[in-house]
Amino acid sequence: MSPMPQSRGGKISPPSNLYTAILAVAFGVVLATAAYVTFACQTCYGTIFGMP
Amino acid sequence: MSTLTKVLIVLLTVFSIFLCGIVVTYVANAENQRERADNLQRNIQSAKASQAAAVEEMETAKKAVEALKAELNAQITDLDAKNKELIAQMDDVKRQNTVLMAESQQQRASATMATELANKQTEMFKAAQTQLSSLQADQSNRGKELDETNQMLLERMAVIAQLEDKVKRLTEENQEVENRLNQYLQQYGRIAAKAPTTVAPRTAVRPASAAPAGQTRTIALNGQVTAVDMKNKLAEISIGAAAGVRQEMKFHITRGDRWVADMLILEVGPDKAVGIVDLTQQGMQPQAGDTVATNL
Repeated sequence: MSPMPQSRGGKISPPSNLYTAILAVAFGVVLATAAYVTFACQTCYGTIFGMP
Repeated sequence: MSTLTKVLIVLLTVFSIFLCGIVVTYVANAENQRERADNLQRNIQSAKASQAAAVEEMETAKKAVEALKAELNAQITDLDAKNKELIAQMDDVKRQNTVLMAESQQQRASATMATELANKQTEMFKAAQTQLSSLQADQSNRGKELDETNQMLLERMAVIAQLEDKVKRLTEENQEVENRLNQYLQQYGRIAAKAPTTVAPRTAVRPASAAPAGQTRTIALNGQVTAVDMKNKLAEISIGAAAGVRQEMKFHITRGDRWVADMLILEVGPDKAVGIVDLTQQGMQPQAGDTVATNL
């Protein structure tokens, strides 16, 4: 899991940021979903957590 | 980076996207519970208001129904009383009808008897009319006989008056002859044995031309002098046309047993008459209260 190149045995592969991008996308999607749900709750009920 | 890490990253990403999609879809399609709750609350309030209005209307309707019920009960009571009165009146009317029917039958019988009596009376009237006609004929005949008798009586009275005048004249002549005889016999100291006859005064004799005998003897009217105007020789009497007085009728004015004057009627009223006074007794004048009559 370390980004450092492995020094013994196996092939050496360059570091890739693909999975970081995938994680960023996932994080963005979750963040957008949370923002949307917050907006919807605020619009409809006037509060985010409590009962109206 | 190990393969397992990569697989986990990919799976995490996929599940995150999938879950977020589900959440977004659910939130987007979820109902607005607040709006729904507000609508339900408004519906509940309107339903409560409708219930209260309905309850009030029901109370009002109950009161109206009770009032109407009371009024109808009162009307029913009045109608029952009127019905009883009408039944009593109907009974009275039936009794009166029975009485009137009996009276009607009696009246029919009375009408039949009255008709019979009317027929009998008609027959009696016809008989009486026939008898009256015969009596009128008899009366006219007797009237003619009476007129003839009166005429004969007047003629004989005129003859008697002439004879009385003749007797008086002869009596006067006889008295003159006796006076002469006495004067002649007195020269020889003798006198006639028969007493001298006295002659009644001629003033009491009414002239024949003063009143027509036939007119004054056929009717007998009596009255009184009510006013006298001797300047114009007029007098008013208390009887008129209603008593049978006519124009140019001759009346005799008397006071007690003495003849005062004659009177010729000029104008006749219903209950009085005015006439001119003529042939006044010397030394006497008619005055109010004297008696007037067609016959002395």
